[in-house]
Amino acid sequence: MAEHGSPGRVSFGLGDALRLGYDYIKKRRDRALINISSIALGIAFLSTLLFTDSFYRAFIAAGGAHLSIESYQYWLMFVALIVSVVGITNAVLIAVYERYREIGTLKCIGAMDRHILLLFLVESLIQGGIGGILGFFLGIIGALISTGGTTGFDIILKVPATEILILFLGSTFLSIFLSVIATIYPARHAAKLNPVEALRYEL
Amino acid sequence: MSFDMIIQLEDLTRHYEMGGVQIKALDGVDIEINRGEYLSIVGPSGSGKTTLFNLVGGLDRPTRGKVYIDGVDISQLDAYELAWLRCRKIGYIFQTFNLIPVLTALENVSLPTVFAGVPRDEGLEKAQKLLTSVGLGERVHHRPGELSAGQQQRVAIARAMANDPAIILADEPTGNLDLNTGMEIIDLLHGLNRTRGMTLIAATHDLKMITASDRVVWMRDGAIEKIERG
Ligand SMILES: Nc1ncnc2c1ncn2[C@@H]1O[C@H](COP(=O)(O)OP(=O)(O)O)[C@@H](O)[C@H]1O
Ligand SMILES: [Mg+2]
Repeated sequence: MAEHGSPGRVSFGLGDALRLGYDYIKKRRDRALINISSIALGIAFLSTLLFTDSFYRAFIAAGGAHLSIESYQYWLMFVALIVSVVGITNAVLIAVYERYREIGTLKCIGAMDRHILLLFLVESLIQGGIGGILGFFLGIIGALISTGGTTGFDIILKVPATEILILFLGSTFLSIFLSVIATIYPARHAAKLNPVEALRYEL
Repeated sequence: MSFDMIIQLEDLTRHYEMGGVQIKALDGVDIEINRGEYLSIVGPSGSGKTTLFNLVGGLDRPTRGKVYIDGVDISQLDAYELAWLRCRKIGYIFQTFNLIPVLTALENVSLPTVFAGVPRDEGLEKAQKLLTSVGLGERVHHRPGELSAGQQQRVAIARAMANDPAIILADEPTGNLDLNTGMEIIDLLHGLNRTRGMTLIAATHDLKMITASDRVVWMRDGAIEKIERG
């Protein structure tokens, strides 16, 4: 069956990585939840501010009083996003240590460095996507809570649908981007592990 | 080079540097291993068995000397060829089983076929057959944590067989098992060696595990002490 003589190529594509990454997330839910919450909170902060801004503009356009966001609030948002990224890097580093033996094992059955890297990045992509979507909706709720008293809760209906769509796509992509950025360093560390050392490692 | 030879080790040496002290984990090992042979490697803890396996399996690079597999010097392989060797030519079995805990037995066994580029359905079918052949046909959807130690090692054996490797490297496969379970595992490996003609190299420090082997290599302090016919 197997062609032992011919030096072929091992393969591990995006589909394989997605399937395996999905299994990891599903079956290691706690770790995934920490990452998802971390990025969701950062994105929720961002989304709250952006929606608050949208609501104010819709309010003004409808003839309401002039309202605006203070610049320090943007700084807070920036800090919140950085805290998310650092939190995720930390959580993924711990996950790498927990999975040393598995990484060693994967390398024994044919995984190359790039496959390990892909696996971790795909997991981070899935978590970033979920976190971004969650954060987006949390942000809408946050903005409604903070401005609804002044602008009325129906203000959201006055924001153009395209603007909401752009905010949705923007925060989801940003979330995925930040989550992947946060994972690159620990994932590269995992990918470059020497299989012998990874297998010797005792937790 | 003889037609029957699958592995040749030439002056194989691996030294470690630890705090300025040189540890000769493996020191000048020469041996030729025949296709289809069942070779036992016996030696006390620290005698270099695992180091030898790591070098033969392409997981580590020697300080000196060569490993030839099917006449190819594996130090000349690039990353792709090395991954291919690990994936298709060699099956690894460990003392600690090293199954992926989040995956079921079936998924664990089919994983090597993913890397080998086998279509998913085919890989799962193969895994099912292998698990049945090691007596776990009814347990394919269990995770490692839900299986006994002996059953986990059977899953690991099925996984090692997934891509029909020419060589099985089993590093103390019975080290974490009780005597009876250990004997069953050795019988299983021996059976696979006989029926499928895979070259089987098994390390142990338990003399009860070597009776069926064709040859026994005795190791001490990183060197071969003697080689006996079984
Ligand atoms: N990564 C390492 N660094 C330093 N010394 C090592 C390392 N790996 C193995 N050794 C040493 O090499 C010797 C042989 O070890 P090993 O091959 O594991 O023996 P065995 O498997 O027969 O018990 C031991 O003295 C061990 O401490
Ligand atoms: Mg050992």
